[in-house]
Amino acid sequence: MNPFSSGTRLRDMIRAIRACKTAAEERAVVRKECAAIRAAISENDQDYRHRNLAKLMFIHMLGYPTHFGQMECLKLIASAGFPEKRIGYLGLMLLLDERQEVLMLVTNSLKQDLNHSNQYIVGLALCALGNICSAEMARDLAPEVERLLHGRDPNIKKKAALCSIRIIRKVPDLAENFMGPAASLLKEKHHGVLIAGVQLCTDLCKANTDALEYLRKNCTEGLVRILKDVSNSPYAPEYDIAGITDPFLHIRVLRLMRMLGQEDADSSEYMNDILAQVATKTESNKNVGNAILYECVETIMGIEATSGLRVLAINILGRFLSNRDNNIRYVALNMLMKAITVDAQAVQRHRTTILECVKDSDASIRKRALELVFLLVNDGNVKPLAKELIDYLEVSDQEFKGDLTAKICSIVEKFSQEKLWYIDQMFKVLSLAGNYVKDDVWHALIVVISNAPDLQGYSVRSLYRALQTSYEQESLVRVAVWCIGEYGEMLVNNVGVLEVEEPMTVTESDAVDAVELALKRHSSDMTTRAMSLIALLKLSSRFTPTSERIKEIVTQHKGSVALELQQRSIEFNSIIQRHQNIKWVTDLLVVNNIARHPLKILVVESMHLLLGCWCMCRSSLVERMPVLDEAAYLGKRAGSSQPTLSAEKSSKPTTSAASLKLPNGVAKPPAAPLVDLLDLSSDDAPVLPSAPNDFLNDLLGIGLPNSSSSGAAPSTTTDLLMDLLSIGTSPAQNGPSDSNVVPSSAKAAESKPAPVTAPVMDLLDGLPSNASPPRDENLVYPTITAFESSTLKIAFSFEKQPEKPQVTLISATFTNLSSSTLTNFIFQAAVPKFVQLHLDPASSSTLPANGNGTITQSLRVTNTQHGQKPLAMRVRMAYKFNDEDKLEQGQISNFPPGL
Amino acid sequence: MWKISSSSSRSQFRIRRSPPTATWSLRCVEDIVFEKNCEQERRRKSVGRFGFYFPTMINFVLLISRQGKVRLTKWYSTYSQKERTKVIRELSGVILSRGPKLCNFVEWRGYKVVYRRYASLYFCMCIDPDDNELEILEIIHHFVEILDRYFGSVCELDLIFNFHKAYYILDEILLAGELQESSKKTVARLIAAQDSLVETAKEQASSISNIIAQATK
Repeated sequence: MNPFSSGTRLRDMIRAIRACKTAAEERAVVRKECAAIRAAISENDQDYRHRNLAKLMFIHMLGYPTHFGQMECLKLIASAGFPEKRIGYLGLMLLLDERQEVLMLVTNSLKQDLNHSNQYIVGLALCALGNICSAEMARDLAPEVERLLHGRDPNIKKKAALCSIRIIRKVPDLAENFMGPAASLLKEKHHGVLIAGVQLCTDLCKANTDALEYLRKNCTEGLVRILKDVSNSPYAPEYDIAGITDPFLHIRVLRLMRMLGQEDADSSEYMNDILAQVATKTESNKNVGNAILYECVETIMGIEATSGLRVLAINILGRFLSNRDNNIRYVALNMLMKAITVDAQAVQRHRTTILECVKDSDASIRKRALELVFLLVNDGNVKPLAKELIDYLEVSDQEFKGDLTAKICSIVEKFSQEKLWYIDQMFKVLSLAGNYVKDDVWHALIVVISNAPDLQGYSVRSLYRALQTSYEQESLVRVAVWCIGEYGEMLVNNVGVLEVEEPMTVTESDAVDAVELALKRHSSDMTTRAMSLIALLKLSSRFTPTSERIKEIVTQHKGSVALELQQRSIEFNSIIQRHQNIKWVTDLLVVNNIARHPLKILVVESMHLLLGCWCMCRSSLVERMPVLDEAAYLGKRAGSSQPTLSAEKSSKPTTSAASLKLPNGVAKPPAAPLVDLLDLSSDDAPVLPSAPNDFLNDLLGIGLPNSSSSGAAPSTTTDLLMDLLSIGTSPAQNGPSDSNVVPSSAKAAESKPAPVTAPVMDLLDGLPSNASPPRDENLVYPTITAFESSTLKIAFSFEKQPEKPQVTLISATFTNLSSSTLTNFIFQAAVPKFVQLHLDPASSSTLPANGNGTITQSLRVTNTQHGQKPLAMRVRMAYKFNDEDKLEQGQISNFPPGL
Repeated sequence: MWKISSSSSRSQFRIRRSPPTATWSLRCVEDIVFEKNCEQERRRKSVGRFGFYFPTMINFVLLISRQGKVRLTKWYSTYSQKERTKVIRELSGVILSRGPKLCNFVEWRGYKVVYRRYASLYFCMCIDPDDNELEILEIIHHFVEILDRYFGSVCELDLIFNFHKAYYILDEILLAGELQESSKKTVARLIAAQDSLVETAKEQASSISNIIAQATK
């Protein structure tokens, strides 16, 4: 016999593990024990199997791997004796979960044990089945369980009832089989069986509408009687908890009543009396009583109760809310949130108390209260509520500030009636908790300011003032810097002073100081610094006396380690140097602070190219950045979280034709927006404005009318451009009109591809990467139908950058072939290990019927074994179809070769 | 939903007969938190609507000591081993750091965790957001009282050395994440009956081995 196999006793092992002083010691002990157990397993040791399994369970609880013991569980379960089975089933439930294949092997033993003559063995099997069964097992063993429901022993019956719950949860189709037995369980006297039966009925109601109807018809009466009996019953020591007989049964019956009474007047009517009795008679000085009251209130809110009963329920909640016990207050807040749909007025009455709860020391209560306050806000009370919340923001805990800020911002945005109030509140939030403000919130603020000409002066002055005290709030600094750059002269000249304002004098150099400070602070991040640089550039044209100083500041960043800053600094420097009075382009550049990050590089690149062409043409320039389109911005925010990118992708098909016109354009292929822009300027933007979601394009679209209506002398500008591009064509040939400028350069580029790139590079002072010649002809892949079912069609189109052969951009287009709309649409994809997949958010989650509209979603796939292994993908679509959850999945293997 | 962790996904795939050579790694739109949030969102919408099926149940029971040691875990919803460790780590961080006077509920990943401290042990139960928190506190107390009766003023050491017994008791109180028995007496009786079954089996075994030992002497 193996010397290890007898091993130590369980108790000794636990003691040894507990005696360990360090984690390393513990690991050593566990390793030794595991080795012994493995040895015993391989020797097929019978005598100590159950002890070894018990040890393994303890080791498992400590978090060590114990998979090697799984088969031992099965062996123990298969043995004849009760002690072995008992420990075997325990091990099965602890060491395995329903996703392990080993579990399938136990189905047969379970079946045998369910038919065993010993009730305790049947109990063990039911218990294991109820806790870990998988869908397959549920299907296989459902008849056995159903049979046991009709048995005589209460212990088996209650276990079988609960086991059925698990079976229905795994396989809702089986619900029908359990309807009859479940209803008959409600006639039992034994509380355990009754509780289990009521729970089974509740789950049946949730799983199946037929079952709900059936139980509503057959059980409502019996249920009311059960509740009446149990709540009127005299003292029963076996079930008594704090003077109440079986509160668990109370609560479960109330819950089932809620299911049955929901949206059904008749059965609700039947329940009113008993609910009123429970609500008035239950003692509320103990937790048990409150638990029943809580459930009772929820039931009253859930069913079609009389208005008197509802008032009673709301009053109970009011009492809960003023309770000193935190638990009771928490559930009151929780419940009021549901009550708000029933009776908003009654909940409003408790507003002050709820507001106090927002300031509670308990994080759980605070969170609940904040969510409730958020629901309570309406047009009438938004001002005092927002003020309260903002005041509290100052003193709240750090970890709560994030939630609080987000909620305040959305309240202020949603309910603001006047812009001044909105701007004021946002400034307050920014200066108190600017670090917690999300990007889209301050972007929206900028859009609003830019749309309110009469408040711009006020805004920039308030921000300047706020900046003096709260430099550490990142988003405040960003907004302030943007506004100072944009409306700097309003700050200095006190334009548009409102009555409420205190007068202040700010000199031009003060304004530059403020921006410089933002640029040089250590805590400022890249975006802030980049924005500061742009602001300085704008100020240099607005405050001519300070332009030398600004040039100095900008020059200091020429050697910055951050590429973005360095690039900006060098370019701006050259702009200041060459064209001191050019302002318009700088405004255009600001756009890329608002555009989302992924596009940034693209935008910057295309801007710089444009800059070369356009800034030359505009000697008398528009003073300020064009007004941002508020409606489009808000629509875009509502539409999706990262819309610029997806909109850009979705507009690709429409613009691709345009890009083909320039086979040898100045840009590399991914810079499609640039091509679009160049093209756009020639024929007055027929393509891009049609994509209303595209914020960037909108901005540029807005910029265009300005450019064509500006009064610059056309012939000189053309001249300038041609001069700069050092192309030999004479200006007269190119025609006098503005709109011809860019196409002429494009034509020139077409005719003389080689020489053009050099001047452009020269012009841009170091952007050589732009000039790589495109090779896109051989990278065209056919669009494939990746997936098609009766309801859904998915088409994939592909794109690839020539310098990165392993990366493929896939844009997926989903079309609904059925006749009803699909909602909650979620697309998921899985790829083999050698492929990396990045999914962008989908353009929408709703798919209109009959192919009237599509969802697009882009995927970036990196095949690390490009050329050796073909791409493969599995997809899974979850959606709601006719109010039902549907799931479809499939494998895509018809990818075009070479991906 | 597809789970993120690679081990579970692999086994899931094998059952569905995926190409045996390739091991598949999964990438969902966001991480698991996002997934939970979605689920949460759907759950919220499902209140009072049929066709959706979201049970209110106890998802898991957790006993942790004040030092963060796990004393008992019982999972009624499916969690992979990796997720289990993560859940335990996250929750013990949250619960052990809460002050004494605060409420007994913690919101966590869209679920609620109801906990109650008895001496050095925290009894935690994770429930669905629509469940009755106050009742869960009573269930915890119910469990503790039964343990107390069984062990005779129970302490942490009892649960360490007789952890399997604690599991047997829990299995008589909860099944499939639902309450099974509201009578302490019934539970005690059932446990006692099964214990005595084990005892008789042991006695028989030892008497048989005695007989054999004597016969072979």
